[in-house]
Amino acid sequence: MFEELLEDVAQRNGLRETSTWVKLAAGFSAIVLCLLATGYVAPLIIAAILAGAILLLARIDPRTYAELFLLPLWFALLSAAVIILISGGAHVLWSWDPLPFLHLSITRESINTGFFVLCRVIGGMSALLFIALTIPMTDLFAVMRRCRMPDVVIDLSMIIYRTIFFLLDQVRQIHQAQVMRLGYSGWKESVHTFAMLCGAAFIASWDAGDDLVRAMDARCYDGKFALLGESRPAGARSLAALSLFLIAGSAVVIATQGITLLPVA
Amino acid sequence: MSSIVLEARDIRYRYPRGEEAIKGISFHFRRGEKIALVGPNGAGKSTLLQMFNGMIRPDAGTMLFDNRPMEYDRESLRELRRKVGFVLQNPDRQIIAPTVYQDVAFGPTNLGYPEAEVKEAVTTALRHAGLAGFERRPPHQLSGGEKKRVAIAGVLAMDPEVLVFDEPTSGLDPSGSEDLMELLDELNHEGKTVVISTHDVELAYPWADRVILLADGQIIKEDVPDVAFGNPAYVRMAHLSVPTLLELSVELAKRGFAIPDRKPRSVLDMVRIIESQPHGPCCHPEAGTITVCNVDAADHPAIAAWLKARPGTAVGAMGTRAKQCAAAEQLALEFTYGVIDKCILRALRGKASLILTAGSMEVRILDRVAAYERESGIAVTVEKFGEHRD
Repeated sequence: MFEELLEDVAQRNGLRETSTWVKLAAGFSAIVLCLLATGYVAPLIIAAILAGAILLLARIDPRTYAELFLLPLWFALLSAAVIILISGGAHVLWSWDPLPFLHLSITRESINTGFFVLCRVIGGMSALLFIALTIPMTDLFAVMRRCRMPDVVIDLSMIIYRTIFFLLDQVRQIHQAQVMRLGYSGWKESVHTFAMLCGAAFIASWDAGDDLVRAMDARCYDGKFALLGESRPAGARSLAALSLFLIAGSAVVIATQGITLLPVA
Repeated sequence: MSSIVLEARDIRYRYPRGEEAIKGISFHFRRGEKIALVGPNGAGKSTLLQMFNGMIRPDAGTMLFDNRPMEYDRESLRELRRKVGFVLQNPDRQIIAPTVYQDVAFGPTNLGYPEAEVKEAVTTALRHAGLAGFERRPPHQLSGGEKKRVAIAGVLAMDPEVLVFDEPTSGLDPSGSEDLMELLDELNHEGKTVVISTHDVELAYPWADRVILLADGQIIKEDVPDVAFGNPAYVRMAHLSVPTLLELSVELAKRGFAIPDRKPRSVLDMVRIIESQPHGPCCHPEAGTITVCNVDAADHPAIAAWLKARPGTAVGAMGTRAKQCAAAEQLALEFTYGVIDKCILRALRGKASLILTAGSMEVRILDRVAAYERESGIAVTVEKFGEHRD
């Protein structure tokens, strides 16, 4: 496989050796702080800190990060625009009633709300990306086990994880073979070829499932699957960094509460 | 000879609604043997292999393990599969878990080992397969050769007596194949019976103790490699080709060269045949020394210093650990496969060489050189690293 999957990036990130719990705590507390914040400044600062951690500590390629960030950002911008148009307020800057039941207006208050929501989304997204880019799925299985998730769920997700990459590879190969033989040259052909791709992928997964059962049997399968490797204890440095982040984040949230983009008298 | 570990008595098998794949086959494997099942595609090799660990039950005839007929209830099958480790042709189909550690631990966990024992079994197996440090890697990021090693480690973790490999080198590059065959040799040297299926005659010929030629669900010939591959009629029947070394020795014999009873199985053997001719040996009057260094025991920086003091010494590495050590110490390796033979060849030209090795392979080098000395009457000095300082 030549292209980078998100999972591959996570497997090689610079914070791989840091305890999964510390990273999860950082990610989730960042989300909570963003939700608690009442001013737009705090989420932006939290986003900046997390982006710094991702780029400098986890050493994720900035272009990869930008790409991952921009995609949902467009949705967030769109949503913010809608909020600005419909939420209304007292200080009207511009308004238009195209239909009797539809009032569009831009007000000082709506701009404040829209911008605040956008900043919150940016903060939350940084937190989610921080989790996704620094914690590979394989480490999450151990967390799932600790959280008392049923064994069946963990076993299944482990098998799914393992097979996804295998199937992805197969689908890619079939797709390539189809493209090489001009399978997607026209609209009608594309539909037909895509149907064949789905069929072939189905058969491949069926086969893989069969083989999986056989492979497990050959290795004395007895209903036990999830045995996890060593877990890394939280180091003093990472714990200190986490507490510093929590204290600084809370301080910023408190200090900047109620700050709006445009002053509303 | 040692005891029989696996035996088949007139077994037959027909796939449901399919053709008869195995048409009455009988054979036996002894403990510690290296067996190659050689035949063209569709000869029934894979089907036969799957009978060794009870994945397929023959329709007629009996399979015996340890002189007891195989039983096909759950408990007996578990026991059988622990003792007969099976490595599939496609490692992607064999690797189940999301990380290397979890995959290798799969067998021991299901055998009910306590956690500490599982950990030990996994660590040993990974070290053995040269995969130390790969514990947390997900399999889809590994190369073909590494995946193969993970599959092998997964089987080794159950400490089987017999190892069965279906087309072990398929999909590997030449150096990967050599590495793998070396690993199989190492395992065999530790007392495990190793069975491989292949259609690569060049691979099977020098490696196997015994070859079973298979075609169309039947055994054509079962013998030592030079006999099994030596008869063109059998080879043709099995859609194979005669190994180059064997063909060459036949041609040399036709030209009046004296070919010993034991046919040449390596370049070293071939060189000896050619040099034993009337024009006289062209080897150096005094053979060079071979120094053997066990990287588990030796002081690594001392190796580089030792080499620096002896320019012109070629270095060969046997086994993954030795290769890892060479890479860590930045030693330039001249030989990475067929190391012992290549170093003997070098010694015959009066040149010195150093073999890096690990574990039980050290004994194998001494055995191999001693065997060569016995057969050829030429003395080659083998020294242990660090024991003979000048």
